[in-house]
Amino acid sequence: MGTSVQVKPLCGVYNENPLSYLVSVDGFNFLIDCGWNDHFDTSLLQPLSRVASTVDAVLLSHPDTLHLGALPYAMKQLGLSAPVFATEPVFRLGLLTMYDQYLSRKQVSEFDLFTLDDIDSAFQNITRLTYSQNYHIPGKGEGIVIAPHAAGHLLGGTVWKITKDGEDVIYAVDFNHRKERHLNGTVLLSFARPAVLITDAYNALNNQPSRRQRDQEFLDAILKTVRADGNVLLPVDTAGRVLELILILEQFWEQHQLTYPIFFLTYVASSTIDYAKSFLEWMSDSIAKSFEHTRDNAFLLKHVTLLINNSELEKVAGPKIVLASMASLEAGFSHDIFVEWAADTKNLVLFTERGQFATLARMLQSDPPPRAVKVTMSRRIPLVGEELAAYEEEQNRKREEALKATLVKEEESRASLGAELSAGDPMAVNAKITQPSSNAAGLQFGAYRDVLIDGFVPPPASAGPMFPFYENSAEWDDFGEIINLEDYTRNNEDMDHSSIPAEDDVNGKLDEGSASLILDTTPSKVVSSEQTVYVKCSLLYMDFEGRSDGRSVKSILAHVSPLKLVLVHGSAEATEHLKQHCLKNVCQHVYAPQIEESIDVTSDLCAYKVQLSEKLMSNVLFKKLGDYEIAWVDAEVGETENGTFSLLPLSTPTPPHKTVLVGDIKMADLKQYLASKGVQVEFAGGALRCGEYVTLRKVGDSIQKGGSSGVQQIILEGPLSEEYYKIRDHLYAQFYSL
Amino acid sequence: MASTGQPASSLKRSAVRDEDQLIITPLGAGSEVGRSCLHMSYKGKIVMFDCGIHPAFSGMAALPYFDEIDPSRIDVLLITHFHLDHAASLPYFLEKTTFKGRVFMTHATKAIYKLLLSDYVKVSKVSVEDMLFDEQDILRSMDKIEVIDFHQTLEVNGIRFWCYTAGHVLGAAMFMVDIAGVRVLYTGDYSREEDRHLRAAELPQFSPDVCIIESTYGVQLHEPRHIREKRFTDVIHSTVTQGGRVLIPAYALGRAQELLLILDEYWSSHPDLHKIPIYYASPLAKRCMAVYQTYTNAMNEKIRNQFASTDPFDFKHIFPLKSIDEFNDTGPCVVMATPGGLQSGLSRQLFDKWCSDRKNACVIPGYVVQGTLAKTIINEPKEVTLTNGLTAYLNMQVHYISFSAHADYAQTSTFLKELMPPNIILVHGEANEMGRLKQKLLSVFADGNTKIITPKNCQSVEMYFNSQKMAKTVGKLAEKMPSVGETVSGLLVRKGFTYQIMAPEDLHVFSQLSTGNIIQRITIPYSGALAVIKYRLKQIYEGVESSMDEESGVPTLLVHDRVTVKTESENHLSLHWTADPISDMVSDSIVALVLNVSREMPKLVVDSETVVNQDEDSKKAEKIVYALLVSLFGDVKYGEDGKLVINVDGNVAQLDKESGEVESENGGLKERVKMAFQRIRSAVKPIPLSGS
Repeated sequence: MGTSVQVKPLCGVYNENPLSYLVSVDGFNFLIDCGWNDHFDTSLLQPLSRVASTVDAVLLSHPDTLHLGALPYAMKQLGLSAPVFATEPVFRLGLLTMYDQYLSRKQVSEFDLFTLDDIDSAFQNITRLTYSQNYHIPGKGEGIVIAPHAAGHLLGGTVWKITKDGEDVIYAVDFNHRKERHLNGTVLLSFARPAVLITDAYNALNNQPSRRQRDQEFLDAILKTVRADGNVLLPVDTAGRVLELILILEQFWEQHQLTYPIFFLTYVASSTIDYAKSFLEWMSDSIAKSFEHTRDNAFLLKHVTLLINNSELEKVAGPKIVLASMASLEAGFSHDIFVEWAADTKNLVLFTERGQFATLARMLQSDPPPRAVKVTMSRRIPLVGEELAAYEEEQNRKREEALKATLVKEEESRASLGAELSAGDPMAVNAKITQPSSNAAGLQFGAYRDVLIDGFVPPPASAGPMFPFYENSAEWDDFGEIINLEDYTRNNEDMDHSSIPAEDDVNGKLDEGSASLILDTTPSKVVSSEQTVYVKCSLLYMDFEGRSDGRSVKSILAHVSPLKLVLVHGSAEATEHLKQHCLKNVCQHVYAPQIEESIDVTSDLCAYKVQLSEKLMSNVLFKKLGDYEIAWVDAEVGETENGTFSLLPLSTPTPPHKTVLVGDIKMADLKQYLASKGVQVEFAGGALRCGEYVTLRKVGDSIQKGGSSGVQQIILEGPLSEEYYKIRDHLYAQFYSL
Repeated sequence: MASTGQPASSLKRSAVRDEDQLIITPLGAGSEVGRSCLHMSYKGKIVMFDCGIHPAFSGMAALPYFDEIDPSRIDVLLITHFHLDHAASLPYFLEKTTFKGRVFMTHATKAIYKLLLSDYVKVSKVSVEDMLFDEQDILRSMDKIEVIDFHQTLEVNGIRFWCYTAGHVLGAAMFMVDIAGVRVLYTGDYSREEDRHLRAAELPQFSPDVCIIESTYGVQLHEPRHIREKRFTDVIHSTVTQGGRVLIPAYALGRAQELLLILDEYWSSHPDLHKIPIYYASPLAKRCMAVYQTYTNAMNEKIRNQFASTDPFDFKHIFPLKSIDEFNDTGPCVVMATPGGLQSGLSRQLFDKWCSDRKNACVIPGYVVQGTLAKTIINEPKEVTLTNGLTAYLNMQVHYISFSAHADYAQTSTFLKELMPPNIILVHGEANEMGRLKQKLLSVFADGNTKIITPKNCQSVEMYFNSQKMAKTVGKLAEKMPSVGETVSGLLVRKGFTYQIMAPEDLHVFSQLSTGNIIQRITIPYSGALAVIKYRLKQIYEGVESSMDEESGVPTLLVHDRVTVKTESENHLSLHWTADPISDMVSDSIVALVLNVSREMPKLVVDSETVVNQDEDSKKAEKIVYALLVSLFGDVKYGEDGKLVINVDGNVAQLDKESGEVESENGGLKERVKMAFQRIRSAVKPIPLSGS
């Protein structure tokens, strides 16, 4: 029997909620995607919490909140502890997305679902793979091979292929077959006949205008606004589609020598672009090519200014274009800017993706748009007076506790450090460095420790109180740490000091700007107020989501034609629509499970292995057909010494078999072929008229595709004539007769 | 360039099927260093590794022995890294030979390849006839080169391959090639030691069947990294503090970047040195910096983390130097200049200038080629010849500190011990060095199961792998497990090296192929009665059945279960059937018959339902069988219980007419009679109704 496969959606079916699915392959549980929405609604994670501990591996497909947002929370609170697999960009950009989410939230609320430490520890165990790298899962999943493949849509976006015993389970959501500026199209089309395909119905009812037309309208709208002295706000995601938008703007500005300032404003903007610069391998061929030829990195931006806080934006007078996160307008810079700009009719808010359900962005995209919306304006303000006093008292108490803990920790880490190093010498160096710098940092250093206590109480197991110098044996580090390279290289005569990790990673970048927020030591609290914003600015939605549209999805599915198809993620109508369509045109087994409904998509495939004996093979004549070579065999089953079956030549004369005609005829190709042979051909009434009397018709191809017969029927009709036989010969030439 | 490696085993070759033979032929780098190029064929698939030139020769002489092979048959060409001795004959091979396969290298290799070769074309001072290729050839070759990322598995014509990090230089790869289950690992140049920016070579997950490995350093051992780094910085530090100048002749790419990282870091931690400038005089290295800054993912974890805060390749204490004219030689300084061998160029100019001052120092940081000045001064001669022909005293200190990123003996032997490949082929090493390595490795792998081979250029290594072809029977055919002796009939589908057996109906399920049916309908002019046709058909065919068409109520005839004859109108008959050779034949005979009938009309036929006499038929058949057997064997008699006794030259065979069983003491006769009877029977008996 084939490999047993079960699919159980945990979130995101029959609606546009975040994606999260449990796929078991022969008892090995994959959690594919671990998404959350911009509201961080814990009720969505209920199903996940019930199965989190049984998950054996997590596969992430895209670096945005909808695909990986719940990872830190699930790792910390739900008992998810499986190894995680993702591509390098999904890992890096996913991390940045989570930082941005956290920082945006933290700014306006007492956000306590997860902390920056949780994000780091969740991401530090990710195993990074490259596209079409076959990773053999060890241990329990022996025999299972996973491989990420390009999905388009987002940088590093992945179509996962899980293979066991030659059967493929493919998870492909949010793929894009079109080549874009920064990404190649998906390679999904190169997979043929997988046993199971899990895909989304998100865009089943959507159709897009051509890229060129859309790009033109996009730029026109922006230009029109700025020329009329208005500002343009593009609410964008942190590190996903925004890369494409930046490239569009950058290229257009370059071509037309425009001077209107463009700003990219997220808490991690500069890191995002820095990483994008080093991900050229993952981008489109044209970007790689231009780099090879001219060494011009496409993400070396000349016209887009990267900002990590709002204040600099305010200094710039005149019309400007701002790309700011979050796309949902629920939080982040985009929220604040929207509130500020909404009242001016000159301004434009240009949405490039559909807002998540029940978010401000979604509301504004409705038709007609609301005249006024209620928003919650929240500000973090410093504490004053009595509140401050109470706070400080509290802090002092906590600090003492923390200090104690720190000392213990330091002792421990020293001990472990000593164990790690063979000789005492480097350790001494290390200690030496630690001491002066912490003294030198003085107050500031103490303040850093506060942050951890202030913002989020570290769990007892966390190494947090050790802040910035705790030894993290893993490649990931703590957050907000500033390691000045000089600090540890100064006294270091011994150049081989690999024992001191230079791991300030992403944080180094963050520090520059958002340090003020992360390391903000002034005691503060969040003050919220309800406010009504009159929406007078123009609102516009254009589809820059970078997903294949409905029609393409259908044709891709028909091309891939899986044996079994599972539909997830998409509104109820879209799911139902695609299901009906696929039942008719793609395959007989189409499933659209409900949340927590476990469906069995084990293939009912029978198979056994045989050895092909040399004797048999020497008599087999293969005919070549594209990638395939094909032959008819009649063989007798024998047994080899080690008990497996082998096929031997028949000892009795071969019985006659029904002739098989192999080949796939496209009527259009046939027409050309016949025309090239000097036959007059034309299409008339669904049939191909050849010469004067003979007609050719093709029936039952698409309708029966994937059905039980799957055989195409060609009907050749005509009166007895020489022409008839001639055309028949041409037709036969299109097939391989076996 | 006659082949020195004629296959020694032509006898063996006939015994084993040709395609089970794996042949590896070094076209360069066989018992030498330079012009790496290996040709490998197995199962009709051909892979070539690397395509370098020999730095000591120029023009055609520098090329690998391409005339030993047919470039047009190569499927895949894999380039391990950008060094000239591994990649520089690529533009020639792509543009000037019949090669039409696909070329792969890693992203970083491709980017640097272009810069390095353009530079090579510019600086090589050879006549136009001797030029192997020009700038345009390089640009054109760029379009043909495809990229592969580390660990990415690709498949071309059934050849599967992927690559591992090799250390050595940025983007260097080790290729693993899998053809029909036989794995071959080609290390290229590799280093198992992590340095400041590169990762150490990975240990492949799977053990290869054949490992082709470099042996540059033979049985030598490297100094530990921190010791040589300290030696390096100490020499420089003491020289410059004593007011001397330091010259570091190095090749533009590869080690140079590592040395710059070391120097920049050292300077950063020593503020007292800040006033002493470091120069690197290589416009090429400057151009390549963008590549180093971009493909950070090919580097090690440590330097990638540094990238997050500051760009480590954005040197703070090192300044580029375009030419010696710009250089203001006023006091102590450190200059890294190309070329590494001190043959000519800036490094030589500076050497000439500085060599007689004993305060100065020259640090040679890597492998130096025989015959260059750098090799000479390592032995610290008293005098050297300057470029202008004069001799000068060599007073400057000369230090040789090897930063070479090639594996040493310790790395090679542990690498091989981990992998335990049954076949090891040593390449890329001087013959002597290689011989010593072979001896030492033989003592390590003393169990005798490991073969170590050191082929010379053009000497083929032949190995035999008899692989079992396994097929997977799938779908309807596999619904029940067969037992021994049963027959299995179906389509055998081969894709790459995988075989599947399936029923024709399943073809579209398991492959992208589909089967088709052609239904034919032909109309023939005929105005007579259907009964006439039926009568005539019955004389030819056994199965002629009348029925009515369900829709139109027109009488139809089903001939031989295959062809339906129907009256279309008063003057027309129509035939329809599904195309296959037998049905086509039947339909042709019907058409002929109908046309004949039309011509012979009118003719009266007695429509008598003659019951076919079964007995008579079989008797007639028996007579024919008998007559035919007599004509074949001569002496044929009716024996007991209806058996036929055939007597040929005293050998007797008994034939059972019903079952076709033959009994005879003579095996040859038995087979012949059996065969003859089967043929006669199939000729005499009617065509079976159903084809399958």
